[in-house]
Amino acid sequence: MTNTNRWRGRALAGVAVAAGAALALAGCTTTPAPSESEGGDATTGGTISIAQTNAATALNSGTPDTNLNTNGMVDYLMGAGTGPGSFMYVDNEFNIVPDETNGTMELISDDPLTVQYTLNPDAVWSDGTEMTTTDLLLSWAIGSGYYDDATFDPATGEVTEGNVYFQLAGSTAGLDTTAFPEIDEEAGTLTLTYGEPYVDWNLVNLINKPAHVFAEAAGFGSVEELATFLEETPEGNPESPAEPNEQLTSLAELWNTGYNITAMPEDEGLLVGAGMWIPKDFQADDGGFISFGLNPEWRGEMTPSFDELIIRFIGDPNAQISALQNGEVDVIEPQPSADTVAAIDGFGGTLIEGAQLSYDHLDLTFNSEVFSDPAVREAFLLTIPRQQILEAIVTPVQEDAEVLNSQQFVSNQPQYADAVAANGYSDFAEPDIERATELLAGATPTVRILYNTENPNRVDAFQLIQASAQQAGFVVEDAGSPDWSSLLGSGDYDASIFGWISPGVGYASLPQIWQTNGGGNYNGYSNAEVDALADESQVTIDDEERLTEIQIEIDRLSREDFYGLPLFQTPGLVATNGTVEGVVYNGGQTGAIWNTWEWTLAGE
Amino acid sequence: MLSFVVRRIIASILTLVVASFIMYVLTANSGNPLQDLLASNAPNAQQLIGQRTERLSLDVPPPLRWFQWAAGAAGCLVPFASCDLGVNLNFTPVTALLPGAVASTVRLVAASTILAILLGVITGIVSALRQYSAFDLGMTFFSFFLYSLPSFLAAVLLKEFIAIDFNNWLSGADSSFGLVPTIVITLVVAFFLQAIVAGSMKNRLITFGVSAAATLGVLLYMDATNWFQSPGLGPVGLLILIAGVAFVAVVLVTGLGNRRALLAAGITGAIAYAAYFALQGLFDISTIWTIAILGLATAVVSFAVGWVLGGNDRSQVIRVAMITGIVSGLLVVADRYLQAWSTYIASPRINNRPIATVGEQTVGLTGDMWVMGLDTFTHFLLPTIALTLISFAGYTRYARAGLLEVLNQDYIRTARAKGLSERTVVMRHAFRNMLIPITTIVAADIGALLGGAIITERVFAISGMGSLFAVSLDRVDLNPIMGYFLVIAVTAILFNFIADLSYALLDPRVRVK
Amino acid sequence: MTTTAPTDDQRAGESQGRLILKRFSRNGIAMVSLALLLLLFVFSVSAIGLGPIPGWWKHDYVTPLPPAEGGRPTLSLIPEWLGGAGIMLGEHPFGQNRIGVDYFAQTMRGVQNSFLVIVLLAGVATVLGTVVGAIAGYYRGWVDAVLMRITDVFIVIPAIVIGAVVGRMTGGLGVQWLAITLGLVAWMGIARLVRAEFLSLREREFVEAARVAGASDMRIIFKHILPNAVGVVIVAASLIAAAAILLETGLSFLGYGIRAPESSLGLLVSQNQSAFATRPWLFWFPAAFIVIPALLINFVGDGLRDAFDPRQRRFSRRRTKEMPQAEALPAVPAEQKS
Repeated sequence: MTNTNRWRGRALAGVAVAAGAALALAGCTTTPAPSESEGGDATTGGTISIAQTNAATALNSGTPDTNLNTNGMVDYLMGAGTGPGSFMYVDNEFNIVPDETNGTMELISDDPLTVQYTLNPDAVWSDGTEMTTTDLLLSWAIGSGYYDDATFDPATGEVTEGNVYFQLAGSTAGLDTTAFPEIDEEAGTLTLTYGEPYVDWNLVNLINKPAHVFAEAAGFGSVEELATFLEETPEGNPESPAEPNEQLTSLAELWNTGYNITAMPEDEGLLVGAGMWIPKDFQADDGGFISFGLNPEWRGEMTPSFDELIIRFIGDPNAQISALQNGEVDVIEPQPSADTVAAIDGFGGTLIEGAQLSYDHLDLTFNSEVFSDPAVREAFLLTIPRQQILEAIVTPVQEDAEVLNSQQFVSNQPQYADAVAANGYSDFAEPDIERATELLAGATPTVRILYNTENPNRVDAFQLIQASAQQAGFVVEDAGSPDWSSLLGSGDYDASIFGWISPGVGYASLPQIWQTNGGGNYNGYSNAEVDALADESQVTIDDEERLTEIQIEIDRLSREDFYGLPLFQTPGLVATNGTVEGVVYNGGQTGAIWNTWEWTLAGE
Repeated sequence: MLSFVVRRIIASILTLVVASFIMYVLTANSGNPLQDLLASNAPNAQQLIGQRTERLSLDVPPPLRWFQWAAGAAGCLVPFASCDLGVNLNFTPVTALLPGAVASTVRLVAASTILAILLGVITGIVSALRQYSAFDLGMTFFSFFLYSLPSFLAAVLLKEFIAIDFNNWLSGADSSFGLVPTIVITLVVAFFLQAIVAGSMKNRLITFGVSAAATLGVLLYMDATNWFQSPGLGPVGLLILIAGVAFVAVVLVTGLGNRRALLAAGITGAIAYAAYFALQGLFDISTIWTIAILGLATAVVSFAVGWVLGGNDRSQVIRVAMITGIVSGLLVVADRYLQAWSTYIASPRINNRPIATVGEQTVGLTGDMWVMGLDTFTHFLLPTIALTLISFAGYTRYARAGLLEVLNQDYIRTARAKGLSERTVVMRHAFRNMLIPITTIVAADIGALLGGAIITERVFAISGMGSLFAVSLDRVDLNPIMGYFLVIAVTAILFNFIADLSYALLDPRVRVK
Repeated sequence: MTTTAPTDDQRAGESQGRLILKRFSRNGIAMVSLALLLLLFVFSVSAIGLGPIPGWWKHDYVTPLPPAEGGRPTLSLIPEWLGGAGIMLGEHPFGQNRIGVDYFAQTMRGVQNSFLVIVLLAGVATVLGTVVGAIAGYYRGWVDAVLMRITDVFIVIPAIVIGAVVGRMTGGLGVQWLAITLGLVAWMGIARLVRAEFLSLREREFVEAARVAGASDMRIIFKHILPNAVGVVIVAASLIAAAAILLETGLSFLGYGIRAPESSLGLLVSQNQSAFATRPWLFWFPAAFIVIPALLINFVGDGLRDAFDPRQRRFSRRRTKEMPQAEALPAVPAEQKS
């Protein structure tokens, strides 16, 4: 009896367990997934993926924390402050190309400088919301620092008093002189009047982030309310800083940190853009990616022929090459070297060569003991084997490369030939050891050279310069360091080898680098004539000719002062594995993705 | 015991505090976190420098700044307190960076650790049992070679020869094996197996002949059926494999003389084989949880079979049944993965080039769990092999030395003197005692695993802990480095503790004091 | 955990040393490895000289020279009668890098630096680890507790992490400082081993005898106990030496170690990774010189272990029964690290 009971109990328990398991099993199944091939081949226009070294960290590259090149590409693709969909983009030849999909900008008057922005009546964000002048006003409010009332400690750059609302990667220079814009909502126009002339006015792009998203995030009932708020809030005054404005603070919060992402954001508002591409999926960090789909509202003239663009983040340059070979990415922008070129050639990839906008240069420190004497400066410059450096570093990648002979223009700019004819840098084409020895007259000055030990180009240039200068009697000491940048301007070296990257357009860097005590003037260069020219350049509006004259003149003066030598323009490279056509090299900061609308998949 | 644990915890906390202080000061002095701004020619560079200085308190000397950091970090170790590890240079909180990095690293190192332990221990045992044979010397050389091989070198070779060449071969027009590779593979496998078997010349020759014939047959079959394009074990292959598993399990655990074990293994194998036919429909709509439940069911059923048939040797028979059941179950699941392979490689995003060299997934790929599982497999294959090769060497040496040491002990001689069979002596007496030191090594190794593999992660573009550390150190980004340190230090301390405890539990000679 | 049999008699100690030497010299692979290692050392030092002393090789490792034959290696090992160019070194046996520096000289400089790192790193770590372990194990009590906590602190921070940070800090100072600082953070393993050894040895009769005879603590530690623990130390040191090559290589590969224009094998491989498919010699020569010394040291270490711990060598199933009782003593139970 008990035995039977026990058996019955066990059987019951067994049945119960089995039934439970079956239920659980049923609950843990899924409907069969459609096989991949039917997943949309019919509708798919194709996928193109491109590798980038740095991972994207935000859907906004305008803040100091997010000012990274991959974030800039995201902005360009989404038409935020740059790229098609906003008022203009910069092409591979550094022309500013207006894009009239959503609106136009127009110079109304030179004095005072007045610019009018006009939205098209059908201008629209990617979520279908109409664009309004409030979108433009918000961009102006962010870029101008109009509401800021902070005072900075000039030595450390720290805020001593007052508020900075919107953090900016660039500066407020230019826009900070504008008065509150005039707005005509009916006509969809916004007019900016500058207090002072501003040379780069045509780079001020007021289509950036959508105002309706900001309005919602900061708790405004509507875009109109936001517009009224911006109008009614008084301009910030550093003399008498106000209490932090709560609503401005919450607007700024979205701009400053709201667009930072570590995973695909849940908030669809962050994905709203004006450009042809809208983010679709994202995975952070090295090995991750950001993928884009087409903007459903896109009506521009230029339309991509494929419907998914993927930027993969691959930090290791050699991993990029093998990923290209293996078909995991279709386009890469590798650091050019003879080996890279040969390797890509070797597996049948397509190489598209170009020249970057950056150039390596040797600067002499004017306030160092050795180089306070112009004769020693000249003697040292005469020993620099520029042709040899070029042949070791650039020629293997770019056969027709030439030594760079201007500190102002790179060789693919039209002004370059005139500059070279006028400035005389070509006198230093080949080292002249004899003349250098003569100038030194038996002295053996010691020269400490600062460079980045982690950049093989700089290490090689240093070794070549060292070998050559020693022949003339110089004692060249190695002052290279991986922390070279924090040593710039420290006075612990007599000469430095490094590179400048020019944005390609704009003149803001002229006073930076050349003016006495300019922010990028690390070698104590000071010439009254140059100072005056640099000042003039900042207030010259719409007169390209004069600006070119100024630059050529600075070039000539720097040569006469034995400022240093430009070495070579850095070669650039884009490579595809043959599946993508229409890729064009772009030496600017946007890189190869600048013309995705011209890309096509091979064989289609 | 309790006082030991308490003292240990207090000592650990002290260790952590001091180590974090040293780490903090060292890292802070390793470079300048403002270097990117100092080199920039942005018009507002000075202002940006000011902002970063203010935000990260860079004007406070590092030893004092450590206290600020420690105050925030202390919250992370106390339950329910707010955890603040600071922000990185880009103002992203470190607490948002760590989980993803830990997850990637665990995915990366888990499989390679298990593989390295399994392969290393097995190789080490065989080496020790065949001490100074050709196999032993060959393995010694091989493992030292792997140990001496820098990981970036291994990674480059794997990418070149396994990923790119295999993919080229697979997607190429002629994807047959070719005559020479077939012969070479056959000879290598046969030579390897005869070296393991050792013994008399006759035995070796027989092994060589049989294994060469079997390998050749399998290769010809695979070639004829385009196996790598549409692989699978098939009903016949599965039957042979399950039978093999049952046989090996019985031989290793009880020996063929045990009828009950043989019967249990046979029944479990048969159930697994029947399940293969019954479950195909369910597999098509499976999720990972379905498989987990099935796995549990397999364990329960094999346990039950062993229990019912066990008789006097119940525990051993249960072990045989469970080994057979679980391994056979894995084979059935593996077969289903293989069936999904042809769908996977035909996907336009894969385009017949399945083995990946970078990243953790194919962007935008969609599919059922089998396809997605294969995608993970193809992405982690190369880094896993690279890491396995490196740590394999260590385990081989430990296992070999450990087993040799144990085999010299008195109790082994006693066991032999009792007339126990060699299998019983090795498997039941020597093997278990050899595992004691290995267990502690494994525990300590796992503790160090979360540190990630800096070089491997970099070369294969996997955003784990190692890459977090390397990227942050490049930028002298102090807070993420300290977050990284906190995670690995806590796990290392924890697992060392577990290692010590397990040693005390496994080896009664050791007293915890 | 294994120990050498303690001896309290000076003559017997000597003969044991000779015994070990004999055992080691009978190990063919280890002897050949040691010979090759020494040969490689002499070769790399004599080739390009050391400091101001010039070597027999005509080029140095920094001067750019005009490129010959596209920088291809001129080394040829195929004799003419086999259709090769004859056995010769040529002008640049390993080729030239892209600015024309002789690659053989650079590689040899890298090998020199590897040896420098091995000797300094392993030396510093061994001395420090032995002293810490010996003092902790001999005195026990609070001295032991404090020293072991300090050891724990360093163990908690993974070697590559300390290496990377230290490398970044000292990379510019030169190879020797990098090696010494790395040695200062690599001693923990030896310290633990030596401590365990001392904990068991200090209870032996010969220590008691020395103490009764009035020997000072220092004398007991370094004259009486340490010689008996030397096997553990030497074997552990050889393992550290092999790991040192890989640590330096990895650090230089990541850019935290030795910096250009100074030469290191890891640096050369890292700089020329992209040359893998196109100018393979730039990759393979330094890569080979990383693997070869590491492999050789491992074999030497294995030989040393066998020589110091003969029990493992003697094992053979057939001979087990004939094994003399004394040699089959069970190993001293591993002292638990608390």
